[in-house]
Amino acid sequence: MSEAILYTDSPTMDVRLKIWRFDSTTGDRELKEYEVEAPEWATLLDVLDIIKDRVDGSLAYRKSCRMMICGSCGMRMDGGAVLACKTRMADIVASGRVPTISAMGNLPIVKDLVVDMTPFWSKFRAIGPWLRPGYDRPDDGKEYRISQERMNVIHKESLCINCGCCVSECNAMESDPEFLGPQALAKGMRFVGDPRDAGTVERLEDYNDSHGIWDCTRCYYCNERCPKGVDPRDAIAKLGAESIKHGIDRDMGAKHAKWFVKSAMTTGWLREAELVPKTQGIVSAIKQTGFALELARHGKVPPPFPPHVAERVKEARLLYDLVKEQGRDGALGIVQGEHALARIEFLEEHGARLNAPEIQPGVEPPHAEG
Amino acid sequence: MKQVAYYKGCLASLSAKELDSSTQALAPKVGIELLELETVTCCGAGDIHEAEPDYYLHLNARILAYAEATGAETLMTICNVCTLNLRQANYQLKIDDALRARVNKNLETVGVPPYSGNVEVRHFLWEIAEGEGYELLKQAAHRGLKGLKIAPFYGCQILRPSKILGFEDPDRPWSLERIIEACGGQAIDYPAKVKCCGFPIIQAREETALGELIQPIEQAYEAGADAMVTPCPLCHLSLDAWQSKLKKATGRDFKMPILHLSQLVGVAAGLHDSELKFKRHVVSVDPVLEKLEV
Ligand code: SF4
Ligand code: SF4
Ligand code: SF4
Ligand code: SF4
Ligand code: FES
Repeated sequence: MSEAILYTDSPTMDVRLKIWRFDSTTGDRELKEYEVEAPEWATLLDVLDIIKDRVDGSLAYRKSCRMMICGSCGMRMDGGAVLACKTRMADIVASGRVPTISAMGNLPIVKDLVVDMTPFWSKFRAIGPWLRPGYDRPDDGKEYRISQERMNVIHKESLCINCGCCVSECNAMESDPEFLGPQALAKGMRFVGDPRDAGTVERLEDYNDSHGIWDCTRCYYCNERCPKGVDPRDAIAKLGAESIKHGIDRDMGAKHAKWFVKSAMTTGWLREAELVPKTQGIVSAIKQTGFALELARHGKVPPPFPPHVAERVKEARLLYDLVKEQGRDGALGIVQGEHALARIEFLEEHGARLNAPEIQPGVEPPHAEG
Repeated sequence: MKQVAYYKGCLASLSAKELDSSTQALAPKVGIELLELETVTCCGAGDIHEAEPDYYLHLNARILAYAEATGAETLMTICNVCTLNLRQANYQLKIDDALRARVNKNLETVGVPPYSGNVEVRHFLWEIAEGEGYELLKQAAHRGLKGLKIAPFYGCQILRPSKILGFEDPDRPWSLERIIEACGGQAIDYPAKVKCCGFPIIQAREETALGELIQPIEQAYEAGADAMVTPCPLCHLSLDAWQSKLKKATGRDFKMPILHLSQLVGVAAGLHDSELKFKRHVVSVDPVLEKLEV
């Protein structure tokens, strides 16, 4: 046994890793392989500590709490962002996989696994991450109380530790680096949904700007990666719903979304041919005519008349009116289902994954025999 | 034959009719009997979820209720976005009794049968990637693909979020590759096969969307793919129809044929022209058909 694990007498394993080393001052890049002995309970962060301690002191990465609280240790494992301190190595070692570790995406690399978080913090700041108080003090002079029901609306968003894992693979940000992104917008929802905050409309106006909520391409990488269950994509959907509830629908994204509602109520099916003019307005729709004609030649733009109407579509219209009367508009419509979705994770952790075949990280997929 | 309630979604009823016709023709060959749903509506894509989320839940509950009324245990989808929307609503209704009770009361008020939570939403891809469906697929695909190089494109919403989809590892999926190989094709590997094509924002943010769209097409092209295959008609629409926009924006003309999953398997299974309807594609599929000599 090497002295690397003198501090423990638990069983050990041999961990192999590849790490993308990078030096921003020279631009040198190199994929280096390491093999160290580590306790069986070791996380990726423990393994990096052992490497830095015993093999190569020049390896750079961030850490602090070692317990999924500080948000420092975000990095990529095989291309997907993880918290190093949350990622146990035992299963990966057992599967024989040799993972590749690299810096998070969508942020400039300073050295090895350390990224420059400046763009992240400036977007964070841009959404105004502080309370704009606008509440009346309760008559009895005591503290302002928030009901559990109101707290539920921002429960998940409040769990964020600003680690950046959600940003790392954000597909919209890859294409538009100015996109506010999942972390900042989830934080925005945390204030929009706070009953003590007086800036709701102002905030929604800001977040509706061109690099805001309607920039999100729904790739769901943020929900997949977030180590704290914030589900930023759902927070963005909440912001969309709140915007529309407050009549803030100038963005093409909002118009697009509203047209689906209208279609479902009237014909039951998307009225595809009218989607472009309803989203972009008549003028830019006409500019697109050449493109539209090309699609039409291949039957890609079905004529609006006669519309394709679902049987008993009246029910869909009545449902709309009924649901509107019950007043769960905006974010509440999403919040009401979160409890159930959280249960899936709980069941998963306890080995009773609902109705879904197992995902086994690191296990070789079955190959075709045909 | 396994009976499934068949949810086409909007696109296969409208601009992607070729997806519907090829699925209808292929299903019996892989042991699936499709029960048509006449009364259902659009699932709302992410759009109704984002605009009127409570209405989204009710619309999807209505679809699930009518699927359950057919007596089938599976509601089979042929679109990524439908799959996520319906599975998400289904989980909420299955797990949360109080929520289901409220939604059911509303459904009954407007004359829809209540939903008791006994339907499983599964994409056609999952039906033929393993088990009985896969065994039958191997027999059905007797004409093969002559080693054609096929680039699998998954798209987002059949992989992520995995807690709702959960069929395979979202970073290392295998189902499309397995099917391509079972049909006698050669699966091409490239990083963007699991990324987003940009479809949801292709109208509202064209530039950002094109920046995403070019990645899978360019990578597949450079890896020498003869064609790409996707399980999602929305991915199909952007990959196929927006190639001309990519050409305009970048000057690069990839001419990459894009196949629906049911068309790829369908070709290998010897389906007819009238069922495959390749003429409905914007980018010509002829080079593929020539190589296959069909
Ligand atoms: S869902 Fe939206 S915010 Fe989240 S990673 Fe994708 S594009 Fe970014
Ligand atoms: S939302 Fe999640 S992934 Fe994103 S910064 Fe917060 S904790 Fe990290
Ligand atoms: S994917 Fe879209 S367009 Fe298709 S049915 Fe679902 S919502 Fe309607
Ligand atoms: S790849 Fe594109 S169309 Fe397909 S699921 Fe993702 S966003 Fe949707
Ligand atoms: S070290 Fe603090 S979150 Fe990992």
